[in-house]
Amino acid sequence: MQAVITKRRSGRFNSFKAILIVISFLVTILLVLAIGALFMVPDMADVWESLKSDEMIYSLKLSLWTGLLSTALVALFALPIGYTLSRFEFFGKSFVKTIIDLPVAFPELVLGLCLLLLFGNTFVGKIFSAVGLNFVFTRQGIVAAQFFTALPYASRIMKSTFDYIDPRMEFVSRSLGYSMFETFMHVSLPLARNGILASTVIAFARCIGTFGTVLILAGGTYMKTEVLPMTLYLNISYGNMGMALTSGILLMIVSFVAIYVFEQTEVSL
Amino acid sequence: MSFVSVSDLHINLGEFYLNGVSFDLDRGDYLAIIGPTGSGKTILLESIVGFWIPDKGAIHLEGRDITTELPEKREIGIVYQDYALLPHFTVYKNIEYGLKKKNPHGMKEKIHDIASSLYIDHLLHRKPGTLSGGEQQRVALARSLVVEPKMLLMDEPFSALDPQTRRDTRNLLKKAIAERNTTVMHVTHDLTDAWTLASKVAVIREGKLLQFDSLEEVFTRPRTSFIAGFVGATLMEGTVVSQDNGVSLVNINGFTMRTIDTADVGATVKLAVRPEDIIVGTEPSPNTSAQNHICATVSKILYEGKTSLLSLYAGETPFNVLVTNHSLERLRLTPGDTVYAMIKSANVRIVN
Repeated sequence: MQAVITKRRSGRFNSFKAILIVISFLVTILLVLAIGALFMVPDMADVWESLKSDEMIYSLKLSLWTGLLSTALVALFALPIGYTLSRFEFFGKSFVKTIIDLPVAFPELVLGLCLLLLFGNTFVGKIFSAVGLNFVFTRQGIVAAQFFTALPYASRIMKSTFDYIDPRMEFVSRSLGYSMFETFMHVSLPLARNGILASTVIAFARCIGTFGTVLILAGGTYMKTEVLPMTLYLNISYGNMGMALTSGILLMIVSFVAIYVFEQTEVSL
Repeated sequence: MSFVSVSDLHINLGEFYLNGVSFDLDRGDYLAIIGPTGSGKTILLESIVGFWIPDKGAIHLEGRDITTELPEKREIGIVYQDYALLPHFTVYKNIEYGLKKKNPHGMKEKIHDIASSLYIDHLLHRKPGTLSGGEQQRVALARSLVVEPKMLLMDEPFSALDPQTRRDTRNLLKKAIAERNTTVMHVTHDLTDAWTLASKVAVIREGKLLQFDSLEEVFTRPRTSFIAGFVGATLMEGTVVSQDNGVSLVNINGFTMRTIDTADVGATVKLAVRPEDIIVGTEPSPNTSAQNHICATVSKILYEGKTSLLSLYAGETPFNVLVTNHSLERLRLTPGDTVYAMIKSANVRIVN
């Protein structure tokens, strides 16, 4: 019965439907070829050599450390921001929401430039340097750049996670004697577990992959502020394909793992 | 001093609002709050439990002003239509949740007590997601009742249940409430909830309290035509012809009705008659105490379980009569038949 209905619905050849499917496949195939090229083109011995080079080891380590630190900071801020935007009405809410979301649509280079100006010679920059945080052309700058680039993605996922949790469960918890904070700890947080995982994974992938913001704020100095995207960029400028491709492969693996974990959490963006 | 006192409550949440709601309840009262969708019933409950701070007005519980008190301090329980059970806890943990906070002594016993009185003791180890609607609602009731709240608020607790489960759950609730003498406010659009559970009824529409009275008063003496329509009474419009000894004579398009309510002679009024307050016969019987005898034609018969609703026309005026199927069979009524309707003047009410 089901099959009959499907057949009737499809009817005879429908050129509109066929064209749409062809377009979808065209782009998919091009992307698959592009991703495949990254693994097919290079000489594997060359990749192995590059992987063992001091520069690659330095870059990989720095990427992981800055990425993990930035992700932790992002999670620390995205959770309260997501909950605030999902649950509370307050003066200036739409302003906060717009500004926090802005970097999603912002060119990374411009974001880097803005951060460079802010942390440069303004009094905000001086406050941070007074407590020992210098962001301009330093490794700390990598973390700052990654943080601001990844934060909007993570806080969006956190907001939509809390949007899906029925606030009446929190109401009931409060009517049973639990304060707002206790309710958050006992009800909202455990129910947001998958969303927290998803937003952390996406934040990590964004942090590892951030290029423009890091380049402008922290600079792209060889073996100093050199993270994986920087290794790719610097080596492709020298024509050193083995190193460039290897960092590309490493970045791609991080993305695949991130998307796979994200899909498992069944969170909607 | 009344147990709960709501006075001049105003709150505006845009789409939903309350506009000057006031009423008092005594300990052990069971209030049914009825009204159309969007009338502000849920807002009223949520202001009392403490999730919204009213713009104006006050709420007192046992003489204490709780208008701005935090929800966790009020000791008022709430039960929702969709149960709002915590999905990551077992049934046992859900029931234990509030008790753990309030009084952790002898928890196990109390949980097993309430679970067996609501017939959920075999479900304690399960997660809420694996239970049926009726089971989930009994767990939600257990969770609210086990902490012995000063008052229990319920927002359409039975509307997601099938009719049989609804009847059973209603009976269980009635028993549990009676055992604890809990004061209850129950938002519903099912009049059976009001009939079977409530001692008082509040009718809300567009944020205003239209009527707050005892159950009998609201159903037999609806104060506005909206309430009369809502609780299922027939309304007839007519003109007051005369007043005699506390009985008004109202002319309704060709026949007259007597009512014990008074109104100015010449005024246009609406009369409300409940379908169950009318007696029908196949022959005129003038020698009864009923003061209204109306000759009418049966236009339609609607079967509703054990009873049937007869749609009658007296001239141009339609009205409904509720009879048991047994009587219907005995009278052998079919559409088109002529019947004689008898109504006591005390059952004919003038509504505002």
